[in-house]
Amino acid sequence: MISKEEVLKLAELARLKIGDGEVEGLQKDISSILEYVGQVSAVQPQGETFLSDSKDSPFGLHTVMREDLPRLASGKAGVPTPVLGEREALLNAFPTREGDFNVVRKIIQKDE
Amino acid sequence: MNKLNELTIAEASKKLAAGEITAVQLAQACLDEIAKRNPELNAYLEVFDDVLEQAKKADERRAAGESHPLLGIPLAVKDNILIQGRVASAASKMLEQYVATYDATVIKKLKEAGAVFLGRTNMDEFAMGGSNENSAFGPAKNPHDESRVTGGSSGGSAAAVAAHLCLGALGSDTGGSVREPSSFCGVVGFKPTYGAVSRSGLMAMGSSLDQVGPITKTLEDAEILFDTIRGKDPLDSTSVDPEDLKSQTSNNKRIGVPRHLFKEGIDQDVLERFEASLKKLEGQGYELVDITLPSSPLALALYYIIMPAEASSNLARFDGVRYGLSLKGSSLIEDYAKTRGEGFGPEVRRRIMLGTYVLSAGYYDAYYGKAIAARALLRKEYNDALKTLACIATPTVPSPAFALGEKSDPLAMYLADIFTVSANLTGNPAVSVPMGTVERGGKALPAGLQLTAAHGDEAALFVVGKALE
Repeated sequence: MISKEEVLKLAELARLKIGDGEVEGLQKDISSILEYVGQVSAVQPQGETFLSDSKDSPFGLHTVMREDLPRLASGKAGVPTPVLGEREALLNAFPTREGDFNVVRKIIQKDE
Repeated sequence: MNKLNELTIAEASKKLAAGEITAVQLAQACLDEIAKRNPELNAYLEVFDDVLEQAKKADERRAAGESHPLLGIPLAVKDNILIQGRVASAASKMLEQYVATYDATVIKKLKEAGAVFLGRTNMDEFAMGGSNENSAFGPAKNPHDESRVTGGSSGGSAAAVAAHLCLGALGSDTGGSVREPSSFCGVVGFKPTYGAVSRSGLMAMGSSLDQVGPITKTLEDAEILFDTIRGKDPLDSTSVDPEDLKSQTSNNKRIGVPRHLFKEGIDQDVLERFEASLKKLEGQGYELVDITLPSSPLALALYYIIMPAEASSNLARFDGVRYGLSLKGSSLIEDYAKTRGEGFGPEVRRRIMLGTYVLSAGYYDAYYGKAIAARALLRKEYNDALKTLACIATPTVPSPAFALGEKSDPLAMYLADIFTVSANLTGNPAVSVPMGTVERGGKALPAGLQLTAAHGDEAALFVVGKALE
């Protein structure tokens, strides 16, 4: 079973605050899920790869590239159009809006 | 005559075109039934206040000469698909107040066709779950027995279609989230080929797995919706041109049955319904072929590595800085942890932590590395098998809908996905078709049969699926 410290470390890495009362349950749940998915350790790769630059790869995935240019919703290069929302709607989604600014925490502090 | 809300899309479409009914009447019939049953079923999280106005516009468009099979058809939309100007919460406290700033591509296409949106449907939070019990706003309930779950994660959509609270609905399917609730609610749940339908505007969960799919009363209706929403989209670089997917259309009448997967863990009466349905296919000239998919028993294990890995990355965007819930701690890092800790429910947090674990430096090769190797094998096995088959048939879920609160252990819940996750891992199209009912506690509960076809061969699913109806 994974330890209490491991659960707390995972929560920290995942930027999740979890309650003291939850740790034990998470230890149990995550351990039993890991035990189940651990079946994959028996898999021997047989040269099939997940991602290949060939369209004929067994997985069929290939890297999709486009020209490094702004593009229209039509997919053609050109002047970009605001396809993912108008400016005002995006500004309104800010948790704390002041004028046209998003208020965020000051992250650079003066040395004491 | 049926009540208007009980019509299929195809039936309603004909009546609208013939001028026998109006879109306003159709929408009103759905609204009346919603008012009657939604307080108990909790299938809709919100019913839009402009439904009749939308319907009126559809009638005006028809009067002006427009026509489309979906013009004036009232639909329900899963709460993780964006409709501009409306709340899209993914049934999460994280996005409870979030107003979508643009239309998902599938919504844009439906608007062009003239569909009417009734409201947004309940789901497991961020599409994580197989029962709808992970909704932050209470579970939807199964119309066939309200003490039972709808399945999930698109449970509200499936319940709304089954209870005639809409004519059809959109769901999303990452590991069975369209097919499993459709099986539990007795409706058709259709997952297209990976890339067939744009995901722009669908909230991302597992990006190599996610697809938008229709939930409908018949296969014909699923086909109408699929034909409307499919197609390559510059806003989703994984979307594919239908022409590029067409190559594999099969015209044979061979159905592959992987009986080696049915040895344990399936309810006997579900298996009997399955065998009876296969007989029905045989009676229509189909040939049943025993097949073996050697990597299939591993599918669920690799799914529960790949999906949380991708979900933990995708959900990193919810940081309380740009949109959604924002809670303050005593430092920036505490702001993140507090927002995410309180904004996400227990299952979402569990999957994020699991994903974080399998992607961490010491464990990456043992879990994620092995899983993607096994995934390639699984895909090859399906491709090879489907070269000479029209479809592969399995039950959709090993059992009918379970009782609310029955499965408290997350792993037990995951086992309901055992037959559905493969099609997401391999990218194949798959559909759940009703195959009759089984009895539990004196109630008749639906069960579904799942058909899987070759990439781009949705046509085979429609042909074989219709033979089962």
